Amino acid sequence: MSTNKSPVMVEMKNVYKYFGQLRALDNVSLDVLDGEKVVLIGPSGSGKSTLLRSINQLEKIDHGHIIVDGMDISDPETDINKVREEIGMVFQSFNVFPHKTVLENINLAQIIVRKRSKKQASEISRELLNKVGIIDKVNEYPDKLSGGQQQRVAIARALAMKPKIMLFDEPTSALDPEMIGEVLDVMTKLAKEGITMIVVTHEMGFAREVADRVIFMDYGTIIEEGTPEHFFKNPTQERTKIFLNQIL
Amino acid sequence: MAEIKEKKKEKEPLRPVIAVGDGAAIPSKEDAGLFTAWRVSFVGAIAIVAYLTISSPDPYWEILKFLPDGILVTFQVTVAAIILALIIGLFTGLGRVSKNRIINGIASLYVEIIRGIPLLVQLFYIYFALGRIVNVPAMASAIIAMAVCYGAYMGEIFRAGIEAVDSGQMEAARSLGMTSSQAMRHVILPQAFKTILPPIGNEFVALLKDSSLVSILAVSDLLRRGREFAAESFNYFETYTMVALVYLIITLLLSKLISIMEDRVGVDK
Repeated sequence: MSTNKSPVMVEMKNVYKYFGQLRALDNVSLDVLDGEKVVLIGPSGSGKSTLLRSINQLEKIDHGHIIVDGMDISDPETDINKVREEIGMVFQSFNVFPHKTVLENINLAQIIVRKRSKKQASEISRELLNKVGIIDKVNEYPDKLSGGQQQRVAIARALAMKPKIMLFDEPTSALDPEMIGEVLDVMTKLAKEGITMIVVTHEMGFAREVADRVIFMDYGTIIEEGTPEHFFKNPTQERTKIFLNQIL
Repeated sequence: MAEIKEKKKEKEPLRPVIAVGDGAAIPSKEDAGLFTAWRVSFVGAIAIVAYLTISSPDPYWEILKFLPDGILVTFQVTVAAIILALIIGLFTGLGRVSKNRIINGIASLYVEIIRGIPLLVQLFYIYFALGRIVNVPAMASAIIAMAVCYGAYMGEIFRAGIEAVDSGQMEAARSLGMTSSQAMRHVILPQAFKTILPPIGNEFVALLKDSSLVSILAVSDLLRRGREFAAESFNYFETYTMVALVYLIITLLLSKLISIMEDRVGVDK
């Protein structure tokens, strides 16, 4: 666990989110510290993806407050685009831009949002492609890449914005088993660099190795949270035990 | 990638699609039968024109000499109207997917009204309505009328093209800090372009044919030149035979051109 002195990077206070009658987030409060790695687990429909997506307002919450790096995104006065610049997001379905090459994928937002020159952007992109291990694909179009490679492009694209927080929404769930490792390796490497990470995943090995804190959600609420040791060895809640028994 | 495509299918079960355009059929290589039909009609039309003009130059050769001015006007009307219609269509399509209720309402209303009124009636209406307010040349009001009409259909094509782009693309762009208009311009529209190219090609051919309607508005297009010739020479049958053949040759050529263009851009059909 990070030291308690770290400032809070994401603060959620009494957050509610409804989809029609369904209460997707039910009075969720959560603080994520600067540099902390949080892994969210839970059955499908438990609200973990909704929680993640509400942090960069891909889902708008109905009640409560979410404060990211000091900016209250539930305040309509806040420029959400400014907040999103600080939050990188990686999706289950990669969502790389199919009409752009790998390099252009990573350059695009740098140039139009961060206002970097093309040369500057390309330098950063190449550096990141090196880091995620696919520099040889720099001029390929995404449809020539495997799922694992596309996801690594997506990670590089998010990192190029130099975000303070990275959100991962089941980044390996759409991947063939042999490609999961290469994506998790990149994420593990990233975790060691001190960036704040919130990860929704079913990869328990990753949670054990990387997480400072594991949070188990069900029915839109946080059922239990704790360090990986506590969480996997001595879960206290009955529902956590049942869930862990099912997946381990 | 293959996995994602499969998932999309699950979301939306595959239903049979009846795709019948109203232009001359755009030939594709996979469709061998149609490809032959295109050849037969194209070669046939040229052969008939050649045979008629050579075997009985009077009146056929005379008619053929009289028509090119009209062909030029037909092209001018078509090209100008399609460009205007594309611009109107782009904004209408954006309006139709807009979350702003007022903008969305205006765009939807425009589409509903225009699609509910026959083109010929719209032509008359806009021609005379414009004539009341400003003095516009016949040609310009004909172009505007065609563009306003086709803009509504184009708008629906743009809307469908935008909506066909996976919603994850918009989310990815927005999560990188792009505004919705930046995301639209750099991420969504370039992808929508490929999907909407074939229907736009169809609209182009359809507009060229519908442009014959402007002949009632004192615009000397291909059909009107034919009418003028016929009215003087009383060779109605011969003249309209030639006019029909010339239209056929033009639309066939145009559809071929469009299919070549689509191949170049790599549209998947």
